[in-house]
This record gives sequence, C-alpha cells and structure tokens, in this order.
Amino acid sequence: MHISDGVLSAPVVIGGYVATTALAGASLYKLKPEHIPRVAIITSAFFVASLIHIPLRPTSVHLILNGLVGMLLGPVAFISILVGIIFQALLFQHGGITTIGTNALMMGLPAILSWWFFSLIRQMNVSVAGFVGGASGILFGVFILAILLVTTGSEFIGVVRIAILAHLPVMVIEGLICGSVSTFLMKVRPEIIGCKIC
Amino acid sequence: MNFIHRLPQIILLFALCFILFASPAFAHKVNIFAYLEGDTLYTESYFSDGRKVEGGTIEVYDSQGNKLLEGKTNKEGQFNFKPPKKSALKIVLIASMGHKNSCTISADELLDAGDRVQGTGHREASEIGLEPIKQIIETSLDERLVPIMRGLKKIEEKGSFRDLLGGIGYIFGIFGVVLYFMTKRKD
Repeated sequence: MHISDGVLSAPVVIGGYVATTALAGASLYKLKPEHIPRVAIITSAFFVASLIHIPLRPTSVHLILNGLVGMLLGPVAFISILVGIIFQALLFQHGGITTIGTNALMMGLPAILSWWFFSLIRQMNVSVAGFVGGASGILFGVFILAILLVTTGSEFIGVVRIAILAHLPVMVIEGLICGSVSTFLMKVRPEIIGCKIC
Repeated sequence: MNFIHRLPQIILLFALCFILFASPAFAHKVNIFAYLEGDTLYTESYFSDGRKVEGGTIEVYDSQGNKLLEGKTNKEGQFNFKPPKKSALKIVLIASMGHKNSCTISADELLDAGDRVQGTGHREASEIGLEPIKQIIETSLDERLVPIMRGLKKIEEKGSFRDLLGGIGYIFGIFGVVLYFMTKRKD
C-alpha cells in the first residue's frame, strides 16, 4: 500500500508533507518518556511487518499492521508509523522518498481511527473489537489510497474496488492478529491496550 | 506488575517472528528489467516477491521527455517493442495502486550491429562480409548475456538481512536519543 515516487503531483506531495508534519508534531506532544520503549518496539514490528507478503493475485500485498500500532499506541501511533515508513523508504525502497508524507497519512490516520473504533467497542467484546480495529486500519488506508490516486486521474470507485479486493486477505489476517493480540493482552495486561498512553 | 516487565519481551518475540517470516521475500515494490535482443527491446516487469506484473502500463519516453509509445504488459509481465528512435530511452512502468518504477536504455545500446560495422571501416577485410558474422555474434552474445544481466539486476535490487536488522537498530537508536533529550529536559 506504499505509493512510489513520481506517481502523485507536486501539490499532493507537499500537502502530504504539511499534514504529516502537523500530525507528527501533535503526536510528539503526546509522547512521554515512559512510553518510548514501547513505541520503539512497536515501531520496529511495524517496520518489519510490511515485508511479509501475502501471495495473492492480481497485485502483491503485504501486512501493514497499522491497526495494531494504533490500538497499542493511541495518538502516539502517528509518530511511530512515520518513523517506520521513513526507514521502509530508505532501506527497502518501499514507497518513495517524496511520498513519505502521503504514505504516513495513508497508514497513520487509519491507525488513529482504529484506536478510536477499538476503544468504542472493547467493552462489549475485546476479541471482536481487536478484529474490527485491525481490519478497519486497512480499510481506511485503502480509502485514503483511493482518494490520493484520484488526484492522478484514476477513477475513485475503480481504485477502491481493486484495492479492497487485493487487501481483503490482509484485512482478515490483520483482524485475526489484532483480535488475538488484544485478547491476550486483555488477560495479561489490560491497561496497555485501548490505550492509556494519552 | 510482573507482566509490565514481560510485555516488551512478548512484543519483541512477535517482531522476531516477523523477521523469520520476512527473510525470503524482501521489499515490496515493482521492478522493470529491459534488454535489447536484435532490434527488439524486451521488458520484464515483476513485483519484488517475484510475481509478474500483469496488465501494467509501460510508457516509453525519449531523452527529451516526449512520449514515444505506450503498452500493457502481458500475463508474463512482458512487453516488447521495436525502438522507434535511436536515442536514449526511458521506460516507465506503472503498476496498480500507486506502484511505479523506471529504467533507462542508453543510446549506445540501441546502435545496432550494422551501424557499428560501418564505423570501423574494415569492410574489405572479409570475403564473406563482416556484417552477417557480426550479427551472428551479437545475437548469440545477447542470448548469453541476458540471464547474466537479469542476475545482476536481481542482486542490485535485493535487500539484505543487514538492512532489516539495521533498520530496527536505527529505530531503537532514534527513540533512545528522543528519550535522552526528553529526560534531560525534565532534569
């Protein structure tokens, strides 16, 4: 779900950077010293997760885990995802350098949304909330991707259909991962999820 | 309280599992490989996990940035064309969902065998004619060189395990520095 260099037009790229800088600033403001070890570990998990491919046609997709980052870090998730994306771009040419801003928006905003979703329904059933949180991270990301690609002249509905189809397996897998992680954490350490970080 | 100390280890374990899963398939991006055989330019497009790009758009530009032609890759991720111009060519691959990559073919590579033979001025040296021999050599050389070039390209693109571990190290390091400054400010 990473956009390469040269796909988006200059105003979109610059807009992406501006919005990302603002959100990263807000996210940094929320960051407290005692959160940092957790943020560092989750960031590295996010950094590595995108190298896990799910071999399904027609395009190649991989895990993203932005929902999990959101659920575990809350508003601080944005800075975590930004750092992860910068290193994915630098070390793996995974998404472009100019598109770091837009890519961070595409994965960071949904992370915060899935945190919000998760906290909304966790009282009812934590496993279901985890599944919804994980899957919605991808779903919102796909919508943002489609909006960004519309600026290049693609048709919105067409992109959404292709991207959702391609990411359906990822949504299910990440939903399952997030569901089991949140069930597990709920048992061993309930205060870490749904996020008391803020 | 016990779990508070254990949690980072649990997450680290997750991260390690990811590394183990991840090692065979590196970096998700699209690649394009182009080579000349005879007077035809062959391109092959594939995702970094080795799967072919089906139905990707190929656009060919000359050195001035004028679009010369456009086409779609077939099931094998290939798209072949005869270069309409003997200038440097930029071949751009646009795959679905924001994936894009390009490669360039220099003008030298496009000069065909005939041009080079005329340039040397030794035509009289051969009774049977240099040109056919030259062409035969070129063709067989192309055949042998293509797999080597393909291999080189693969090596060039392949991420390494070191990059992966290095990235994790960088992330820890950066957050370490952040932590240092945050706690220092408090003192």
